[in-house]
Amino acid sequence: MSNDEIFAAAYREHYWAVSRYVARRLDGRSSEVEEVVAEVFTVAWRRRADLPPASLPWLYGVARNCLANAVRGFGRRRRLVERVGNDESAHGRQVAAGPDAEAPGAWVHEALARLSSADQEVLRLTAWEELGVEEVAVVLGCGTRAAAMRLHRARRRLRAEIDRLAVLGGAG
Amino acid sequence: MADELELLRGANPFTVDDPLYGDGPLDHHASRRLNRLLHERRRRLLWSLTAGVAVLASAFTLLLSGPSSAPAVAAPRPLVVQAHSTPVSLKQLAALAAVTAVDGTPALRKGTHVQSWSLGMSDDKPPVTIPEERIVRWNADDSHTERVVEDGHVLKDVTYPPSWSDVPPASRPPRDVVGLRSYLQETANSRAPLTTPELLDAVQELLNHWTLGARESAALARLLAGADGLRPVGEVTDRLGRRGQAYVYQQSAIRRMLIMDPATGAVLGLEATFTKDQPEYGVKAGDVMEYSAWTR
Repeated sequence: MSNDEIFAAAYREHYWAVSRYVARRLDGRSSEVEEVVAEVFTVAWRRRADLPPASLPWLYGVARNCLANAVRGFGRRRRLVERVGNDESAHGRQVAAGPDAEAPGAWVHEALARLSSADQEVLRLTAWEELGVEEVAVVLGCGTRAAAMRLHRARRRLRAEIDRLAVLGGAG
Repeated sequence: MADELELLRGANPFTVDDPLYGDGPLDHHASRRLNRLLHERRRRLLWSLTAGVAVLASAFTLLLSGPSSAPAVAAPRPLVVQAHSTPVSLKQLAALAAVTAVDGTPALRKGTHVQSWSLGMSDDKPPVTIPEERIVRWNADDSHTERVVEDGHVLKDVTYPPSWSDVPPASRPPRDVVGLRSYLQETANSRAPLTTPELLDAVQELLNHWTLGARESAALARLLAGADGLRPVGEVTDRLGRRGQAYVYQQSAIRRMLIMDPATGAVLGLEATFTKDQPEYGVKAGDVMEYSAWTR
């Protein structure tokens, strides 16, 4: 297969996964999600010669950069900074599988939002994009050991925040 | 209590069965974007195909002396340099542009108005030239409208919500040569300084996003004056009836022609013409592969 065919296959296979990646970080604001996803694949197209066989983590890495640019851009408009940043309103759309599931989902989001953006990203990649440590390393552009270490620390900090919220809220 | 990662998994806001972003076939919008990218591929394919073919020195002379051989396919003829016109060097043109730019008018404007003609390729039919007009206008609230008319049909007339980017070519182009050079390099996604053909591609990309002001045009003219291999060949009248100075860069089997307004240094157009037959694609030397003309 040529680079172009490989690109087209990766596009078809991963379009929605990349869309979810972006949506999770933009609070699902659909017009912006679409715009950023289009940018991700335009950049990926230009760099298609670099597209590795396991292309999804690589695409997430491209998306991460595009998103950083977009967020900086959107950041000119204050309301979005507030949404994308660690504001409580950042996670307006949450899983509501049922009355019982809703409450824990909400505090997990809140606990996550209290962490640094680096911690948040490694945790989201692991839990939401369901990547292994090696794939996380590809997205973050670091070594596997560094990725494992970051995940380990981020988990510990998330645990601490969840426990704290559980105590404060009397939930558990 | 559950493991923290388990809790986080349970709080995933967009899962694979999400109604909006869940896995499945591409929707209309996503398919169209893919097709657009792949459509580009066709043209790129031709570029790569023609790179590395030996230069035919005579082809260039033939083209400039007038297209006596009628094109076999429905492709427009290349622009003809007027006989006995005096070529103006890019340095002279850049100097004039710098003088004109002093008062700063016209000003830089985001958005573009470009008319282009490009060869569309098909595996089983002769190539056809597709005329397209694209107008992008940005509004004060950072929203923009894009209207594309292809071959007389409105392909697109859409207003996009506010967006902003600080990455070239969407970010504001600088008006100094050094800044503009790195801007164009970033536009081309290149780590190395751009070659002249890459520079011309990046200029095209820039002008497809921005309508340059006098100052940016002057900087661009100076930058182009330093590009290797761009030769002044004389005066042409472009496809919109405007008079300009033509500068030519000969690639292995393609001639690139840059058309500039001698009074302001603004880039009026870019033309790419085959200088060698490509029988497997049904194109002949002298067929115009692509032509873009920018207006305000």
